[in-house]
Amino acid sequence: MGKKTPEIYSVELSGTKDIKKTDKRDGKEKYRGLKNKCSNFRKNDQIEEIKEELDLDDHKLSSEELEKKYGTNIITGLSSARAAELLARDGPNALHPPKETPEIVKFLKQMVGGFSILLWVGAILCWIAYGIEYSNNPSSSLDNVYLGAVLALVVILTGIFAYYQEAKSTNIMASFSKMIPQQALVIRDAEKKTIPSEQLVVGDIVEIKGGDQIPADIRLLSSQGCKVDNSSLTGESEPQSRSCDFTHDNPLETKNIGFYSTTCLEGTATGMVINTGDRTIIGQIASLASGVGNEKTPIAIEIEHFVHIVAGVAVSIGIIFFIIAVSMKYPVLYSIIFLIGIIVANVPEGLLATVTVTLSLTAKRMAKKNCLVKNLEAVETLGSTSIICSDKTGTLTQNRMTVAHLWFDNQIFMADTSEDHSNQIFDQSSETWASLAKIITLCNRAEFKPGQESIPIMKKTVVGDASETALLKFSEVILGDVMEVRKRNRKVAEIPFNSTNKFQLSIHETDDPNDKRFLMVMKGAPERILEKCSTIMINGQEQPLDQSTARAFHTAYMELGGLGERVLGFCHLYLPADEFPETYSFDIDTMNFPTSSLCFVGLLSMIDPPRSTVPDAVTKCRSAGIKVIMVTGDHPITAKAIARSVGIISANSETVEDIAKRLNIAVEQVNEWDAKAAVVTGMELKDMSQEQLDELLANHSEIVFARTSPQQKLIIVEGCQRLGAVVAVTGDGVNDSPALKKADIGIAMGIAGSDAAKNAADMVLLDDNFASIVTGVEEGRLIFDNLKKTIAYTLTKNIAELCPFLIYIIVGLPLPIGTITILFIDLGTDIIPSIALAYEKAESDIMNRKPRHKKKDRLVNKPLALYSYLHVGLMQSLGAFVVYFTVYSQEGFRPSTLIGLRLEWEKHSVNDLEDSYGQEWTRYQRQYLEWTGYTAFFIAIMVQQIADLIIRKTRRNSIFQQGLFRNKVIWVGIASQIIIALILSYGLGSITALNFTMLRAQYWFVAVPYAILIWVYDEVRKFFIRLYPGGWWDKNMYY
Amino acid sequence: MTKKDKKSLNQSLAEWKLFLYNPTTGEFLGRTAKSWGLILLFYLVFYGFLAALFSFTMWAMLQTLNDEVPKYRDQIPTPGLMVFPKPVTALEYSFSLSDSSSYEGYIRDLDDFLRPYDLEEQKNLTACTDGVLFVQEGPAYRACQFPRHLLEECSGQNDANYGYSGGNPCVLVKMNRIIGLKPQGHPRIKCTPKDEQVALVRAYPSQGFIDLKYFPYYGKKLHVGYRQPVVAVQAVFNPNNTRKEATFDCIIDGSPNLKNKDDRDKFLGRVTFKITVNA
Repeated sequence: MGKKTPEIYSVELSGTKDIKKTDKRDGKEKYRGLKNKCSNFRKNDQIEEIKEELDLDDHKLSSEELEKKYGTNIITGLSSARAAELLARDGPNALHPPKETPEIVKFLKQMVGGFSILLWVGAILCWIAYGIEYSNNPSSSLDNVYLGAVLALVVILTGIFAYYQEAKSTNIMASFSKMIPQQALVIRDAEKKTIPSEQLVVGDIVEIKGGDQIPADIRLLSSQGCKVDNSSLTGESEPQSRSCDFTHDNPLETKNIGFYSTTCLEGTATGMVINTGDRTIIGQIASLASGVGNEKTPIAIEIEHFVHIVAGVAVSIGIIFFIIAVSMKYPVLYSIIFLIGIIVANVPEGLLATVTVTLSLTAKRMAKKNCLVKNLEAVETLGSTSIICSDKTGTLTQNRMTVAHLWFDNQIFMADTSEDHSNQIFDQSSETWASLAKIITLCNRAEFKPGQESIPIMKKTVVGDASETALLKFSEVILGDVMEVRKRNRKVAEIPFNSTNKFQLSIHETDDPNDKRFLMVMKGAPERILEKCSTIMINGQEQPLDQSTARAFHTAYMELGGLGERVLGFCHLYLPADEFPETYSFDIDTMNFPTSSLCFVGLLSMIDPPRSTVPDAVTKCRSAGIKVIMVTGDHPITAKAIARSVGIISANSETVEDIAKRLNIAVEQVNEWDAKAAVVTGMELKDMSQEQLDELLANHSEIVFARTSPQQKLIIVEGCQRLGAVVAVTGDGVNDSPALKKADIGIAMGIAGSDAAKNAADMVLLDDNFASIVTGVEEGRLIFDNLKKTIAYTLTKNIAELCPFLIYIIVGLPLPIGTITILFIDLGTDIIPSIALAYEKAESDIMNRKPRHKKKDRLVNKPLALYSYLHVGLMQSLGAFVVYFTVYSQEGFRPSTLIGLRLEWEKHSVNDLEDSYGQEWTRYQRQYLEWTGYTAFFIAIMVQQIADLIIRKTRRNSIFQQGLFRNKVIWVGIASQIIIALILSYGLGSITALNFTMLRAQYWFVAVPYAILIWVYDEVRKFFIRLYPGGWWDKNMYY
Repeated sequence: MTKKDKKSLNQSLAEWKLFLYNPTTGEFLGRTAKSWGLILLFYLVFYGFLAALFSFTMWAMLQTLNDEVPKYRDQIPTPGLMVFPKPVTALEYSFSLSDSSSYEGYIRDLDDFLRPYDLEEQKNLTACTDGVLFVQEGPAYRACQFPRHLLEECSGQNDANYGYSGGNPCVLVKMNRIIGLKPQGHPRIKCTPKDEQVALVRAYPSQGFIDLKYFPYYGKKLHVGYRQPVVAVQAVFNPNNTRKEATFDCIIDGSPNLKNKDDRDKFLGRVTFKITVNA
């Protein structure tokens, strides 16, 4: 993955590079030196360790020694047989995903996690109860064995389900990373072959060319202008040249080693594989990254909290009633059975499965919006995120240079930098522009790759470097067919750009047949270009370059440079026809043509512009209370400019430097607390103590970290986490992987990201777009709200399931609802509705509130539990009991008769039990009536759960504000409840083991008044909450 | 995130104390007195309302009922059979001849059960026509006499011990009362011992016939003084046989609309019991 196609250029740029009149190479060295200094000082210990542990000396060996060492031949390569042997010995050349937990362990974890333990206890108690019964009476019924088996089955099935869900989401990831198999060109048996790079072994001779990803750690044997991008390893994106010379003792620094997963940008090279798979440098870093502890996700903590509450309630009620039952002289055996009933009634068996489904539904939805979630729980983590540490390049920006400003006729014009460039509004009528356009068009070596006629200009692939590409596309959009223009103005000579000259020059014939002059066009570093000029073009007229125009030039140059943009100057000269006739042969080595006294035409500045969706996304983050911190390797000026343009530093906030400039005082004199924003460089960061960093993070709302190394990212993440924030981190390089791991949610880039980063991350952004994170945040928050609703919905009926047992024990009524029946509610009728709540739309703008507080805003809070259990749950129980009493009364057992009847009722030898009307019932007839009671109670709960489902759609708004029919899935859920109940009652009513009977149609409606009551009561609750926000009612009733 | 320090025992104890009673805020169990008052008042009102509502719906539901006849009788279409007195252990009579206390209980139960069948107790009842259903229109419903002497040897009039002391005990078999049940044909209780070598069965009234005049039953409230027809079954053990232990099957016979066989309900129209007489 992440194979870089040639159109993606590294666009890390340095805004000052052009301003400072330094040699480009010097600047680069300086930059690198600076970087190394800071990274040497602070570089993550792990990297340090690697450096020390590395006993790689292959870079010091000669080719002959290497051949000997690896038993290979540079010309003919390995033999296939030998390669197969080595492959068998070393394993495939691929990174092992970080330490997988064995499947069986994962599976067993599902079997004992959550409520499973409670249910196992229940099942075992069932079998113990049967054991006791059996020892007393060998012919005792097998009911308890069945119940135990059913409970065990429930645990195993939900466990398998959860396991399957997890495996599925892991598989999405696996398939994702296998989408593009890497190929390598290898010499084996003296033949060039293309093989999957997984099959490379040590000693293979491989050939790489520009655009390839280096398939393993290789020692270069020959190289033609080979340059590599080591950014995935070092975080530096400047291309580094590679040759076969040993230049440095440190294998990481020497030029003759190419690293696995880095990219070859240009040139070709041949190398010998010296390390494969996990033994590569990248592999070692990646495996170390997996050692960084993974924090528990917030939702996992919430669910654990919830499980604790429910399990606590279940166990304590169970034990209290066990004691009550024993002290009421119930036999211990019965008391155990009560205990099981209470546990089963209290445990929402289906809930954890529902949560999993809900999360995976959201994960799917997010995948559609380009957020691929690897770890299901991370779905919610994104929602509780309070700080996002974002990369700049590619995430906030478009990752391509684009013309942003122009300066000619003493005026700065703005160019359209949006993704499609469609709207160029600057004044194009000036003569100067015509000249400038000509220079832009002609003095450019970049070309569109052929065969892309149907592709929009901005998406076409270009051969050429980043700036030239930008200029080419810019001119193509404005002027039309650039190639045609170039054809008409045949190029006769050219000096390509080089870092000593800092200019590019070409000489053309003109397209005017009457004008026999040659046109010389030149572009380059503005100050260099200006030096060569003696005139300047204003409104199409050449004017002498005087002091004032030079000043104007400098002001414009500084202004554009201050925006963090790369500025280029353009000039031209019509060579006099008498001196340079048509036949004149230009020699670029002797420079037999003038390169001074040219005519300056204009400036043009380029930037990697922010993605157009980002400013909105940042604003959304801000209103959502999420702090966006930019962490980039770029120059502070560029970083700050981008931060300003996307709103990470908002328009009216200032940094210390800004204040100093405004007040015209020294930076040291500014009160640090006056500045809302801060731009901190890696250099400054490295000198900071932990406390200083914490202070910085806490006191500035808008922070940009520039010139940071990927290792410093980890430090920043840790700092944020010390503040109690939930931190999301984006990253793409291998060195980002510790930070990605450390973050509460690591977000890897799908396009630019390395495999190691993707492995370490919890989420992959398929389009590398920051705005996708914000959609993810929205989804995450929504799912948290909706999970609340789901849980409230599920918990409610627990009381209606629990009360029957309590009443049964204390009042001695025939059992109103059986354990199996309860399972049919929990795992039958309630499942689809509780999933349906996941489709509920947000009640209000969820992006307008602060991120939830990890400690305070719990998933299951006191009001939720109280309202579900003691309000709605109780109403449900009452409604269900009315139905129960109705069924018994209408069949002959009035409530007064029922009380205390339990003992006689359950005796198998009593077959003439008298009802309220003098009729006598056999045990089986009573049993059947009891099952009818179960069914009625079941239906009553189901009917009231429909009302419960509807009220749970909102927590604050009226249902009518939310729209009763907006969420269609809710209605699917309701339909499913009714259909399942119909099937159970009328379809399976004849299967005695299930304890369902065919229920009279009218009993289905007895609980309806209570269902309506629940709805009305909840509307009243919501009404008062809206009426008195923050009041007593709100505090006690809003969950 | 830095690792959270494990709370020390003292700390959590102090936290608990603070939760129990917080002197600074005056909070008791996390709420101030006023807050507790409010919440309790709320629950008082709320639950009072729910209680009233529940009572009302129950009352409304009870209004749908008929005092005389249950609304539905579909769950007991045909009657079950049951024996009397109730054995100490499930359907197994066991007593010893030498120990009168082992069967005293049965005799007392039978006496109690049969007292309403005394003639004096049935003076106000109707002497109905034999062999036909006694269908009544109301509003007053009369009950038919079931004189005790129909049970002959088991009536307790000839043998106050109902045969228990003689080792040939009597057991009453009765058919469950079901309102409105109209048996067809000539219903009778037919009892057979599992092994005729061990014991024989005598039934009173003869052949265990149940007269149709006792049907239909009109319910406890309307049919005051209703005497449930019973059939007495006397086990007669073979005196030559030392093992006096026998199992008896009784079924309702002779009536096409009274079921005596059901896979699930072992007492529907049938009853099986065991008598063990020890020396």
